[in-house]
This record gives sequence, structure tokens and C-alpha cells, in this order.
Amino acid sequence: MDANKLHLNDHISQQFNLELEDIRNKAMVMGGLVEKQVSDGLRALLEPNSELGEEVSTTDYRVNSLEVEIDEECTQILARRQPAASDLRLVVTIIKTVTDLERIGDEAEKIGRFAVSLATAQLRPGYYAELRHLGDHVKSMLHDALDAFARMDVDAAIATAAQDLKIDDEFESLSRLLITHMMEDPREVKNVLKVNWCARSLERIGDHAKNVCEYVIYMVKGKNVRHTSLDQMQELTD
Amino acid sequence: MSNADEQAAVVDIVTAGLKRRYAAERRFRLFGLLSVVLGFVFLFALFASIISTGYPAFQSTYVQLDIDFDPAILDISASPGSEELSAANYAGLVKHSLRELFPAVKKRRERRSLYQLVSIGAEYELRNRLLTAPSFIGRKEALWLPANDDLDTFMKGGIDRQLPQENRRLSDQQLTWIDALLEAGRIEKRFNTVFFTSGDSREPELAGIKGALLGSFYTLIVTLVLSFPIGIAAAIYLEEFASRSRWTDVIEININNLAAVPSIVFGLLGLAVFINVFDLPRSAPLVGGLVLTLMTLPTIIIASRAALKSVPPSIREAALGVGASRMQMVTHHVLPLALPGMLTGTIIGMARALGESAPLLMIGMVAFIVDVPQSITEPATALPVQIYLWSDSPERAFTEKTSAAIIVLLVFLVVMNSLAVYLRKRFEKRW
Amino acid sequence: MPSSIANAAPAATAANLNDQQTQDLHQKIAATVGRIEVDDAKMSMRDVDVFYDDKHAICAVNLDIAAHEVIAMIGPSGCGKSTFLRCMNRMNDTIENCRVSGSLKLDGVDIYDKKQDVVQLRARVGMVFQKPNPFPKSIYDNVAYGPRIHGLAANRAELEEIVVTSLERSGLFAEVKDRLDKPGTGLSGGQQQRLCIARAIAVNPEVILMDEPCSALDPIATARIEELIDELRKNYTIAIVTHSMQQAARVSQRTAYFHLGYLVEVGETAKIFTYPEHKLTEDYITGRFG
Repeated sequence: MDANKLHLNDHISQQFNLELEDIRNKAMVMGGLVEKQVSDGLRALLEPNSELGEEVSTTDYRVNSLEVEIDEECTQILARRQPAASDLRLVVTIIKTVTDLERIGDEAEKIGRFAVSLATAQLRPGYYAELRHLGDHVKSMLHDALDAFARMDVDAAIATAAQDLKIDDEFESLSRLLITHMMEDPREVKNVLKVNWCARSLERIGDHAKNVCEYVIYMVKGKNVRHTSLDQMQELTD
Repeated sequence: MSNADEQAAVVDIVTAGLKRRYAAERRFRLFGLLSVVLGFVFLFALFASIISTGYPAFQSTYVQLDIDFDPAILDISASPGSEELSAANYAGLVKHSLRELFPAVKKRRERRSLYQLVSIGAEYELRNRLLTAPSFIGRKEALWLPANDDLDTFMKGGIDRQLPQENRRLSDQQLTWIDALLEAGRIEKRFNTVFFTSGDSREPELAGIKGALLGSFYTLIVTLVLSFPIGIAAAIYLEEFASRSRWTDVIEININNLAAVPSIVFGLLGLAVFINVFDLPRSAPLVGGLVLTLMTLPTIIIASRAALKSVPPSIREAALGVGASRMQMVTHHVLPLALPGMLTGTIIGMARALGESAPLLMIGMVAFIVDVPQSITEPATALPVQIYLWSDSPERAFTEKTSAAIIVLLVFLVVMNSLAVYLRKRFEKRW
Repeated sequence: MPSSIANAAPAATAANLNDQQTQDLHQKIAATVGRIEVDDAKMSMRDVDVFYDDKHAICAVNLDIAAHEVIAMIGPSGCGKSTFLRCMNRMNDTIENCRVSGSLKLDGVDIYDKKQDVVQLRARVGMVFQKPNPFPKSIYDNVAYGPRIHGLAANRAELEEIVVTSLERSGLFAEVKDRLDKPGTGLSGGQQQRLCIARAIAVNPEVILMDEPCSALDPIATARIEELIDELRKNYTIAIVTHSMQQAARVSQRTAYFHLGYLVEVGETAKIFTYPEHKLTEDYITGRFG
């Protein structure tokens, strides 16, 4: 669904149009920022680059302040405009989306911090490969989810949400691999655990991205598809 | 130019025009005030002239005579029956007592002019006295008897002594007698009860408005009894029940047109229909009432419809909403709210009918009728017609009678209009 | 000629069928979205058409109203919602050029049947109007009027009981119990409207129709009335026309959206206000056109 299909410009109140447009734009700006944080965190981890990691962990406040700002504006709209139907769903979707985006920002910050502490550690190259694989996957899923959000595209949202299963699988297998390594070489436990935390963060980002997709479906279809299987999701939205 | 500058310019333009605008307002107010003052001046002039000419009519002059109820003068037996009493010579009584007062007057012509000073109403009064109390026979009484209209006019300052004898209605000789009577305290002005208790007469001092008042009263009663129920029923039907169609439109237009028809046309209609076709008695208040009913009906219907229209539709809806029938809606809610307006309209219509003379002329209520009417079918005249008749009479004394009758008519109109205002104030409900 | 009532009726600005554009639009909204039927229908309207002369004010509307529900009717001005409401107790009968066709049933009986007496119908289907319209009589007489004309009370004591109960149910009794003999027009706007509700429920109707009952009231009085509507639902079935969408959302269980004389959408209020299916409904409740 095209963003124009939201008909944000059709209200009798021009001011209301602007307000809705504003929170939506801010949410997308926040999405872009979070996406960059994730990608920077991942780069800092993989290069490794402790300075970049440091930067990621200190930039998170911008995400947080954006969340507060959008929340505030949404509250204002609820209080003053009493939106209904699609407007109401848009506001609710944005409130929920920014919460998830903020969590993603938190995870990116964690990855940044681990990147700093792992920069000096000698890790097996295989870890980087695995993390890169998982990270790229998560990055693309997050990108797709934000894209679906920006375009309010239900089909894209469902397809993106489906990716979460793969990410979960990948995390599962990486986790198993890391456990094996830890058992083989107990001296590595500390670093491997950190790697596992990073993988765990990436997996969490995937979960949040999936939530965003579900909000998009709620926004467009008016149906709550959370806590349902993909098949059910497909059914509900048909 | 910035917006602030433009705003300042606007203020300047407005200020420049202010003087002219206020001047126009002052001019208008002055005109309004002037017209109101002018209206009051005319009203005052009218009242002043009517009251100043009319008030003497409420007094009349009496002469005291020593009447000797001698059966010989009366030309009756010692114990007469009532028929004999009726036919007795009362004029002789008056003449006898005048002769006794002025024994010096011997000549026939002089005597006749002496007798003229007393009204012929004196004879009727003496007769009435004897008929009610025959015991007076044989006694001598000092009685106040009505004076002739010329003496009355003279007493009210209507006859100038300085004029040459042939130009005034009283001769020098009569004036000397009057002076003598005045000297003796035998002339007095009293409240004119005759004016309110008797009918019309050729003699001004005996003419009263009771006949005309009762005639007007009967006419109005007939009008009210007919036009109020008919008018209100018609208004309610047209306003609340009749469905809108070409017929109701035609009726509505015709009612409005009838209200503007000159009243004399209704008189002609009454003459043609009520008298010629239905053979109703001529000059009767019944016919007058019927004609005035025709005339006031449109007024009452229009006023009643306006009153009905002014009842807010929400009241009707409320009544229907709780399940009242149409009739209940009208009788329980609409009518009580509209009634003050209907009454006002009716009373104003009645006041118009009271002041109407033209249609009554047409149906013969203009006749000279001495008897006070006792029912709606007896010949009668009405107040405005009586005024018209008197204003036409040559005798000087009728001028004041005319004005006095106008005063009475005006008093009735004011009373009726005040009643309308009172009723409206009293029963009007706020919603 | 009751032209004054005709003037008070909502202006029917619907349907001019000659126009091609409107015809297209009519095609689009002719079929109602959402479930029309309910399980325990108190009133059931099928194929209702209303004409004012040649103006088609209501076009083929089907709608059920369940017992003990509050159904809200919303829509832009002139959409026919008030006209439809007035059909349900035949208040439209008083408008001369108004013609109603289709079947409107109350408990399965057609209310436009020749045998149906309109006075009896209005005793069963009461009405509360937009502007509080108490009679210019005392508070007591206002409430007692309905029972009196219908002869619902055998004696004074019974009548008094009806009046007190009705005033209590309308939540007004505590405020006016000391001045029942004072004129009803002396009350505040909100109190007057509750008096009108008391007057309506005094005849113990089965259905109460409310035509924008709060449009002349301040928010606090409005809140009281809304609370009262919720209370009344226990005993009565209520259909309410309102211009305030928030009010419809607050008081009703189901909402019906009217447009140009058509019933565009009907459904659970919660659904209508979060995810309406028809675009016109959506546009209306989100304030996208007037």
C-alpha cells in the first residue's frame, strides 16, 4: 500500500494533516537512525572498530529522545484530535513502533559496547563470518520492516515477518556452535559468551522488526495479528 | 506596505468617517422624536377639543318651581285612575307655577316665551311622579325641573348677552326673567343623568345615549357570540387540521382579501342578504351583529392563525411524541398557548366593530329611535351612528352632546384595548 | 395545515437521481456493509424508502434493532438519519408531503399497517427531541401528561408513583423533588432534557428514539444524559441520532452510518470506530469530509 493511500492530506483540518504527517515522518527518521545504529554497531563488531563501537553506544540517546518526542506528540493528538479509525490506528501503530525501535536502538547500543570490549580479543575468524551472516540477515529484515512501515505494505510486512523464523534458526545454530566451542576451550568462555550476547541482540532486533511488521498489518487491516502463527497471519489478512 | 501600516490606515479611514455616521444617527433620532411629538400634539389637540366641547353635556340646568298638584289645574277628579292621571294636564301645572312666579306677565305672547324657559321634559317628569305616588295630589311642592336647552346653553355660557336681541335665541325679556330666577336661587346646574338614562330625542336637553349604548351593546354581543367561536374554529381547522391544497390556498387568500374589504360593502351585503332575502327585522342589532360578524371574522381568523403559528412546533412534537392525538395536542397544548393572542385579536376586532358606522347605516340602524331597545330584534341605533346623527342636528346644544357621545365611545374603546393588553399579559406564557 | 411541523423536520437534501455523478455514487453505497440482522430484533426495518415529494430521502434501508441495545445513527447533515428515526414512531405522518414505503416492524408487527393505531404506537415508541421541549406546565404535569392521556394510572397515588419513578429513572428526582409544581421550563437545559426523557419513559415505552438529545447541552449535562442512556438500556431499547461521533462511540453498542439516504455501514461500535470497512464511513468518522 502506498503511503498516499493513508489519505493523510484529506482531513478537513489542515493542521491535523500536518500533525499526522509529522509523527509519521519522525517515526521514519527514527527508523533510519536505528537502522544506522544497528549497521554501525555491527560494523564496529566485525571490523573490529572500538571507536565506532563507542560512538554507537553514546549515540543511543538520540534514539531515546526521538521516542520521547514522538510519544509526546502522539499523546497530544490523542488528547486534542480524538482520532478514529485509520487515524487512530496510525497513532497507535506509531506509538507501538517507536517503542520497538527504541528497543532495537538499545540492542544496537549493547552490540556497540560488546564491540568495544571484543575489539582487543582474539576471536576465531569463524565467529565473524557467522555473526556477519546473521547480522546481514537481521539488517535486511529491519530494512524491509521499516520499508513496509514506510509504505504501509501488508504483503511486504507479512513476507518480512516470515524472515524472523529463519533468523531464529540461525541464532539457534550459532548458539549451539558457541556452546560447543566453550566446552572445547573453557578459556574462551568469556569472549564466546560476549559473542553469544551479540547474536542474542541481533535475534532480538529481528523480533522487534517482526513486531513492527505486525503493527503495519494492524494499521492497514485493522486486525491484531500478534501472537499468531504465520499461516494464521496470512489467513487473517486475506 | 506592512500589515501594521495597513491596519493604521484602516483606523484613519474609519475615524474620518465617524463624524458623518454619528451625524446621520443624530439626524434620524431627531426625526423620530419630532414625529412622536407631532403625533402627541395631534392626539392632545383632538382630546382637548372633544373634551372641552363635550364636558358641559354631563351637566344640565334645572329650574325650581313651586308646583301645586291641584286636581282643578290637572283637570282630574279627586281620586283618579291611572289612565286619567296619564292624560292629565301637566303642562298646566308648570304654566300655573310660572304665572305665580311672574304675576306681572300678562300678555299671551310674553307668557308663551316665559313658558319656553322650561323643557317639555318637565311635564313627563311630573307625570311620572304622580303615577308613582298619587298621594301628591292636592299638595304643593318645590321641585327642580329641567330647563329648556336655550336656558341650558345660556347657563353654560353659550349665549352672549351683548348681541342684539334678534341675533340670539333668548329675548331681553327672557333674560330678565332668568336673572330674577337666578336671584331667587331657582336655577341650578346638576349632573346630567338624563344623558345616560334616556334614548334619543328632538329636544337636546332630553336626548340621551342609553338607546345607542344598548344598541351597540346588543350588536357587539351578537358579533362576539358569532365571530369568536366561528373565527377560532376556522383558524384552528385551517392551521392544524386542513391539509395544504389548492382549496386551502384559495380560502387563505380570500380571508386576507376580506379583511381589506371596505366595511360599507359588508353593509350592502347585509342589506341584500339578511334583510331582503332572510327577511330579518330592519334596524335591529341582530342584523347589525351579523354584518359586523362578517366584517370582524377575517380579522379574528388572521389574528388567531398568527397566534397558532407562534406556538413553537416543538410543543406539538412533544405532545405527539408522548402519544397525544391531534385533537389532544391542540386542546391541551396549542390552544392554551395561543389563546391570549386569539383573545387580543378578537378584542381588537370587537373594538373595530364598536367604532363602525358605515355598514350599520346600510341596514337602517341610522333611524331616529326614541325607545331604548329591549332585545336584539328591536330597532336600535349604535353609538357611532348616534354621533353621526347628533352632529347633523341644528340645535346648538347637540354639539356638546356629540362630543360627549364621542367621549363615551372613546372610553369604551380604551377600556377594550386595555382589556386586550391585560389579557395578553395575564395569560401569556413563556417557553 | 401543520406547516410549522414540516419546517422543524430535517431538511432532506438527499438524492437527486437525475445527476449522473450522484447516480454513480448511489451505486457505490447502495448495498449496506456489515450485518443488518440481529438475533433478538425488537424492531426490524426492510426496504424502507422515504420520499419528500419527489425527493428520495431514504433509499432501501434495511436495519434491525436488538432489544436492550443502544444503536447510534450517525452521518453528515441531511443524510436521512433523523428522517429514518422519525419513521420508527411515525412522526413523519405529520409532514404532509412525506411518503414512507417498505416494512417497519415492531415485535414482528408492521407499524405502518392500516390497523396499527399511531397513538398506541407512540405510546410504545417514545421520542426525545433535539431541543429540550418541556410543556409550559409544572414539572409534575409534564411527566404526568402521558400517563394521564393514556389512562395509565387508576388514581392520584398511582399517578404520583409513576411520576416519581420516571423522574428517578431519569436521574432528576433528587434535583426537583422540592419543586414539582414549578414550571418545567424554569429548569436548566440539561435538566429540561432529562425531564423530557422522564416524560417519555412515564408511559413506559418499549423503544425510545432520541434525536440528537444532547446537541443543545453543555458537556456536563451531556455526560449525565449519556450515563442515563446507559442506565435506561436495561429496560428500554434505544435508537439515538447524534452528530457527535464521540457520543455515538461512548453510548452505543452498534453504530449505523447513513449517507445520502443510504445505510452505508452498520456494525459493532468498537469496530466502526477502529476499523470501518466502507471508505465513506472511514472518511466521515476521521473527519475527511463534512
